[in-house]
Amino acid sequence: MNQLGFPLLSLIIFLPLCGAVVTLFLRKEAVIKWWALIVTVANFFLSLPLYFYFQSGTAEMQFVERIPWMLSLGVSYHLGIDGISLFLVLLTTFLIPVAVLSSWTYITEKVKEYMILMLLMETSMVGVFAALDLILFYVFWEATLIPMYFLIGIWGGERRIYAAVKFFLYTLAGSALMLVAIFVLYFMNAQATGRPTFDLLELQKFSVPLAAQTWLFLAFALGFAIKVPLFPFHTWLPDAHVEAPTAGSVILAGVLLKMGAYGFIRFCLPLFPAAFAYFVPLMSILAIIGIIYGSLVAFSQSDVKSLVAYSSVAHLGFVVLGIFALNAQGLSGGILQMVNHGLSTGALFLLVGMLYERRHTRLIDEFGGLWKQLPLFGIFLLIVTLSSIGLPGLNGFIGEFTILVGTFQANWIYAALAATGIVLGAWYMLTMLRRVMHGPLDKPANRQLQDLSAREIVVLVPVVIFIFLIGLFPNLFFGKMESSVDTLLSQTRATISMGEPNP
Amino acid sequence: MNISSLNLTAIAPQIIIIITALVVLLAELFTGRKSLLAYLSLLGIIVAAIASWYIWNGTEQRLFAVPMFQTMAVADGYSLFLNLVFLVTAALSVLASINYLVRERINHGEYYALLLLATGGMMLMGSATDLMTVFLALEILSISLYVLAGFNRADLKSGESALKYFLLGAFASGFLLYGIALIYGATGTTNLAAIVDFLKGTGPMRGTYLFIGLGLLLVGFSFKIALVPFHMWTPDVYEGAPTSVTAFMSVGAKAAGFAALGRLLLYAFPTLLGDWVWALAVLSVLTMTLGNLTALAQTNVKRMLAYSSIAHAGYILIGLIAANEAGMAGVLFYLLAYAFMNVGAFAVVIAVGREGEPNLELSDYAGLGSRQPLLAAAMAVFMFSLAGVPPLAGFFGKLYIFSAAVQAGFVALAIIGVLNSVVSAFFYLRVIVYMYMQKPIVEARPVLAPPLALAIALAVLGTIGLGLLPTPFLTLAQQSIAMLFGA
Amino acid sequence: MPIDYLPILILVIVALLFAALALLVPALLGPRKPTAIKFSTYESGKIPFGTTGRRFPVKYYLTAVLFILFDIEVIFLYPWAVVFKALKLFGLIEMGVFVLILLVGYFYVWRKGALEWD
Repeated sequence: MNQLGFPLLSLIIFLPLCGAVVTLFLRKEAVIKWWALIVTVANFFLSLPLYFYFQSGTAEMQFVERIPWMLSLGVSYHLGIDGISLFLVLLTTFLIPVAVLSSWTYITEKVKEYMILMLLMETSMVGVFAALDLILFYVFWEATLIPMYFLIGIWGGERRIYAAVKFFLYTLAGSALMLVAIFVLYFMNAQATGRPTFDLLELQKFSVPLAAQTWLFLAFALGFAIKVPLFPFHTWLPDAHVEAPTAGSVILAGVLLKMGAYGFIRFCLPLFPAAFAYFVPLMSILAIIGIIYGSLVAFSQSDVKSLVAYSSVAHLGFVVLGIFALNAQGLSGGILQMVNHGLSTGALFLLVGMLYERRHTRLIDEFGGLWKQLPLFGIFLLIVTLSSIGLPGLNGFIGEFTILVGTFQANWIYAALAATGIVLGAWYMLTMLRRVMHGPLDKPANRQLQDLSAREIVVLVPVVIFIFLIGLFPNLFFGKMESSVDTLLSQTRATISMGEPNP
Repeated sequence: MNISSLNLTAIAPQIIIIITALVVLLAELFTGRKSLLAYLSLLGIIVAAIASWYIWNGTEQRLFAVPMFQTMAVADGYSLFLNLVFLVTAALSVLASINYLVRERINHGEYYALLLLATGGMMLMGSATDLMTVFLALEILSISLYVLAGFNRADLKSGESALKYFLLGAFASGFLLYGIALIYGATGTTNLAAIVDFLKGTGPMRGTYLFIGLGLLLVGFSFKIALVPFHMWTPDVYEGAPTSVTAFMSVGAKAAGFAALGRLLLYAFPTLLGDWVWALAVLSVLTMTLGNLTALAQTNVKRMLAYSSIAHAGYILIGLIAANEAGMAGVLFYLLAYAFMNVGAFAVVIAVGREGEPNLELSDYAGLGSRQPLLAAAMAVFMFSLAGVPPLAGFFGKLYIFSAAVQAGFVALAIIGVLNSVVSAFFYLRVIVYMYMQKPIVEARPVLAPPLALAIALAVLGTIGLGLLPTPFLTLAQQSIAMLFGA
Repeated sequence: MPIDYLPILILVIVALLFAALALLVPALLGPRKPTAIKFSTYESGKIPFGTTGRRFPVKYYLTAVLFILFDIEVIFLYPWAVVFKALKLFGLIEMGVFVLILLVGYFYVWRKGALEWD
């Protein structure tokens, strides 16, 4: 259904693209920056009606648009969102202007190309979350690679080329098998039903034979697991994060990683429910390993940015754990935690970037006692750190707690193991905070540092607002996703309990 | 017998191209301005394209076949679609050649005549329905290309290229002719329609001669379209030949080979395809894998593109192996996409090169993104498209071919194909890495002559256009192949 | 039937035998009186000079190629002449086209100066 009678989703997807085309013809750097900011902010406001007009009582796809695209193959331009994708779309449109504003002074070379890539990034990411056709999804999914590849490779740090190529090839390798799996699914469905289609909603009605489910699940899961990234497919992530420019890291952590987790919920779960249930132990254990391993490695990092990068591995482990709990709490906690992680880790990367811009180093040992010099910065870092380690009243707590409740219902051992991750998380994050902010201000270079500028405060304040908003009023968010999650789960359970689906 | 029974209208595009070639050859004697010949050639190409369009629309149903020359050739959707591929290739190559020939001091008028003759040969390959026509067309095509490959007489590499191409090409023709002879021995005819009738009559019984004959035919074609292990000549020839010629033959000659092979395998010998399908599958896997792996090791962009074009033959072969309508439509779509992106990539190589082309190493592309942003952006589009990244033409080509393979049950082949795409992404990306992420070594800003710029712009347009709006072209391709399967 | 080819086989054998005899008989019966002059290279009755690996103008090669080219094309006129009556006007037009294409080539060769020796 489309309650607006108006292709709002398409508009949100293609407004940045049009903005990028216009940018091609702009010359002055200042104009380009302002233009990119205006377009992305406008796009954010454009996406707000998605929340307000969203109907919570239904699990149906909303704001649907459907136009045949490649008719003979059964590919259609089919967009729509439900309670699962709503917040990811909003997260994307929210983080992009933040990222643009954060690059204001950081990016000094090739500003035009940079802003064009940011806008293209937005188009492809919103497309991923709104696409309801497998081919359309795949096209957007792959299309996110190109701008990110350039963002890391051109504006990145020392080893940017290595990181960019590694990022590109890892993700491409992961999604390659997914493409084959999409074809196999397509032809199985076409043979069984006689209606060739790549439409997700149509394919969900088709129950894949059990033997095939395993293989198809694995092919899809590989692509998603690399993107998440799930241990042991995470090795590209620290490289990409450390080398990427600040805004690149924000987008990478904030949105790109969510695409993997989202893929599990949107595709693996409804399409291959039996295989999904079968692989719960494996995936949960990998997620737990990711949580503990990520935390331990994060603790041993001397570079703030790679510390945050490894903490992402741990946090995304929680998300995956929640999803594979296969119950309402786990799943909705996982979805909310995706948003939380996007906000807190995004903000952490922003702060690290601001520090780097001032001091041109990210080594923890180079700092210490910054609180005296940068009180405002300190307050923001404190809030975000606490949000990241899950202090009650802030967003991280809600997500992690709900996930643990869900996991506990499913398997208490998993929950117990994962809970150690929370302790470890608090340990390394607070240690980082202590070593950077507290103690004596003994490095002469640090005495010259300026506190946050007005622009930087404008970047951080909206993020912090949402951190509190989710922490204090989680039902604003859970309420919208409830029926989608419940319906998805009940459908899945029904299919699993039916045993052998029809051949 | 009279002239109207020859049905000259149906063969009009080919005739127009050949006549243009002769006119260009004569015009060269009277004019000092060689660029005039190029524009004359373009005119011929455009007229031929219009003629093809006219034939396509001129009949009442779109699915038709007009036999000509007493069933030696045919004008059907398949051949007309391929005309489009060949004419696009030829037009882009001509545009890219104009200033290149001046720069390399090989601006002889015969160039355009030979290029047009080769194009005529390719078009005839697409429409040939008799093994003799196939052979004749192949020779017109090949002999013109032998000369073109050695067109830079002052350059030893070019001479080496021509000689290698000639020797191995002649060798391949030998295989082909022997195969044709054996098939003739087994069936008593060289006409494809008659062969179809004959095979219907024999039922499941198949002669040894037929089996061996088809095998030899495959070997001959494998040489021509450079399938591993019959590819040894390719890198040297492609590297040594003038770049504009490499662009032309890496697409055109390959497409012509696939055109004839497609008609032979799917129309004349569909029952025999089963005997050879595993051999073809092995060839395809070897071709993709070796082509990509060797391309990985190249630092010379022209040579890298040569190896990559070997790999692309492997992908296209998958569509033939699938042997279904989706696969063949995919092959046609892929060939069109390949024409745009590969000729485009070579056109960029021409634009970057200086006289004598001493600067085709990857390092010569360093910093191109800041030296010549538009050129670099175009190259990036071609590289991404060749790597098969959506939403560009190359992606949809692969999409159709791999999905056809899955449909036909060759899931393993599709998996190997996509994995190969991933490997290939590495070396295509490397060009982009150098262009955008490395500091320039030389500050020289490549100068773009207008015709070359036009060629690159058209190629970019095609690459992106086929990616964003694949439907009309895919529908066209699907209509085109109906006759292959309908008969 | 293979037996039909027997006469040809016999002819081949006879020819081989004759050639062998023609070489063998003089070698056995003929007188031999070798002199230095008899052993020298025969070169049109002149006294030989220089080595055999001498360079000669590429024009010979060009002329030879052109000769073979046009000579071969002319061969096609013979089968055409045989069926000319059956083909009637159609045959005339076809051969006209063929000769025209040939003429284009000839004209090209001519204008390019390939027929001039200097």
